[in-house]
Amino acid sequence: MYELSNVTKNYQKGRRTIAALRGVSLVIGDGEWLAVQGRTGHGKSTLLQVLGTLDRPSTGTVSFAGRDLAQLREAHVTRLRAESIGFIFQAFNLVPTLSAAENVESALIPLGARPAQRRRRVTAALESVGLADRARHLPSELSGGQQQRVAIARALVKEPRVLLADEPTGNLDEDTRDEITALLEKLWRDLGLTLVLVTHDSAVARRAQRVAIMHKGRLSIRHDTRRAAQ
Amino acid sequence: MFFFTYLRRELRRRMRQAVVTALGLAVGIGLVITVTALSSGARTAQGKVLGALFGVGTDITVTTATAPAPGGMAQITPEPYVQHSDTLSSPTQGTMSASAVAAIARLRDVSAAAGGLLLTEIKTTIPADNAPPPTGFQPPVQVSVTGVDPGHGALGPLAAARLASGRAFTASQPDAHVAVADAAYAAAHGLRAGSAVTIAGARFTVTGIVRQAAGSNAPQLYIPLARAQALSGLDGKVNTVYVQAASAADVAAVTGEISRLLPSATVTNSASLANSVTGSLKTTAQLASSLGTWLAVLALLASVAVASLLTVAAVGRRVREFGTLKALGWRSGRITAQVMGETLAMGIAGAAAGVALGLGGAAAAAAVAPKLTATVQTSNTGQGGFGGGLSAGGGIFHGTVGGPVQAFANPNATHTVAVPFTAPVTVGAIVVAVTLAIAAALIAGAAGGWRISQLRPAQALARVA
Repeated sequence: MYELSNVTKNYQKGRRTIAALRGVSLVIGDGEWLAVQGRTGHGKSTLLQVLGTLDRPSTGTVSFAGRDLAQLREAHVTRLRAESIGFIFQAFNLVPTLSAAENVESALIPLGARPAQRRRRVTAALESVGLADRARHLPSELSGGQQQRVAIARALVKEPRVLLADEPTGNLDEDTRDEITALLEKLWRDLGLTLVLVTHDSAVARRAQRVAIMHKGRLSIRHDTRRAAQ
Repeated sequence: MFFFTYLRRELRRRMRQAVVTALGLAVGIGLVITVTALSSGARTAQGKVLGALFGVGTDITVTTATAPAPGGMAQITPEPYVQHSDTLSSPTQGTMSASAVAAIARLRDVSAAAGGLLLTEIKTTIPADNAPPPTGFQPPVQVSVTGVDPGHGALGPLAAARLASGRAFTASQPDAHVAVADAAYAAAHGLRAGSAVTIAGARFTVTGIVRQAAGSNAPQLYIPLARAQALSGLDGKVNTVYVQAASAADVAAVTGEISRLLPSATVTNSASLANSVTGSLKTTAQLASSLGTWLAVLALLASVAVASLLTVAAVGRRVREFGTLKALGWRSGRITAQVMGETLAMGIAGAAAGVALGLGGAAAAAAVAPKLTATVQTSNTGQGGFGGGLSAGGGIFHGTVGGPVQAFANPNATHTVAVPFTAPVTVGAIVVAVTLAIAAALIAGAAGGWRISQLRPAQALARVA
């Protein structure tokens, strides 16, 4: 699905240049679950943003489904993101004024789906995360776990090929964490998604097929159950 | 529809900011409407004053200065017997040959020209020399009489008059003993169509009663020009020429042409007459057009700036929201459209409130405004029309019973007109104000849109992470 070759990402902070990614090379297979761990500020989120086309690398190439993202114009990248990539954020990032159903529906707006079709898909997505009865609730009327489920439904409603999750359980208690992790695992299996999950939590990371460690902008694979299975 | 649902919810969430933005726009728009109404009211009032003084259809009047009489006055020498005098004269305005009318009419860009004689009839009884005033002695009576050319009814003092009863002159009455009376004069003297009236000893039949605009100080009687010339001993003379230019754009050019044709004449057009108008009306018009306009422009700019700053600040507070939408695949243009929709809604609300404020402001200004006055120095400007008749009626007769009686003109007569002030709000002004409000809202939305376009989704999400 992804092929990263010698990717770097530098930020300017005043006169200082901060290297968030240093020569990252990585191949992520179609339908793979990759967990990324590492300490804060070592480049996990930057890697996820590059994978999610939210940011472009300073150097190196990123290929998605065989297409070099650097060669795509911004409009095409936006379209690719709208169609193929779902995001889940640690802080849920739901629009506070929109109901659960409307938040899920917001992911279908860039696709230009008809209202009836949107309603049908929103209902199915909320059912898949067990929140069909909370469709009209505002985020403020939902628990943290329920809000993250809405965010998962929003990421999945467009039937993406890739799900990128940035600390999806970071704001949740242990029980809810397990619940959300189990849900993500089920969806990953059922839908055949490629899942890249950034987490501090080793318990969550252990359930992934591969675990990568980010340290000072460099990436290394620590654990690969695929190889173990072979 | 998702667009409107999102828009409605966001406006409700940011109700206070939406209200402040809409109110800011409303104040600006309200001021624009109020100032426009005040300005329009002042212009209308000025137009009324000028129209009343000048006459409808007349663009230019031509007069000449009075030829100075010895001592500037007419002498009536008392005799040992009682004298009755009934004279018709032109005490305040000089005369010119009627051929000047034809010469002016031949000028390029002149549509029509008509002559007129603005006269004063003075009826008095002079007691015998050194005799005490007889019982029932009446002070001198003045009547303003104007000779009009029945062939040019659309020009001159009668053009602005409204026929109250009877009929006006016809072209077939150039020399008839017929008169038209002003309504106020007719009411005071019990005249109506068919009544008889004596002017300078000649008997006239009143054919119609006319009503002039308030404040116009209209002549009391109108008679055919030829009759006025004959009765005043001014055969072949006129003291005012009423000129209509081919178009409004030609007025200045025609004024110049007449000045060259008749160098000693005083040529007055509405612009020069307007310049001679003084008083609170002029002050109000100047205030409305200068200070008021600047105030409205400043208020509008301030409200646009406030709306823009609030919108940009709101975008700043919604960085994570917009970053998330970008991550979901929303284009910057789509998010900008959403923000512009919100500011447009605020603009429409502001426009509605602004129109209400403007209507209220205009009504309040009209209600509390004192009655405005306009003063015209009639003799100095030398305009004809009603101004000439006015100065003749400005109190020109001083008599000392038992001594020499003098009739003289006031050389600096002024005419003050009280003008009721209105502040009309036109549909055009409302359309302009609403357009301004919407434009202001779109500018504010565009400012927010610019901020959004600068936002990279990764930065937006990183800033709040």
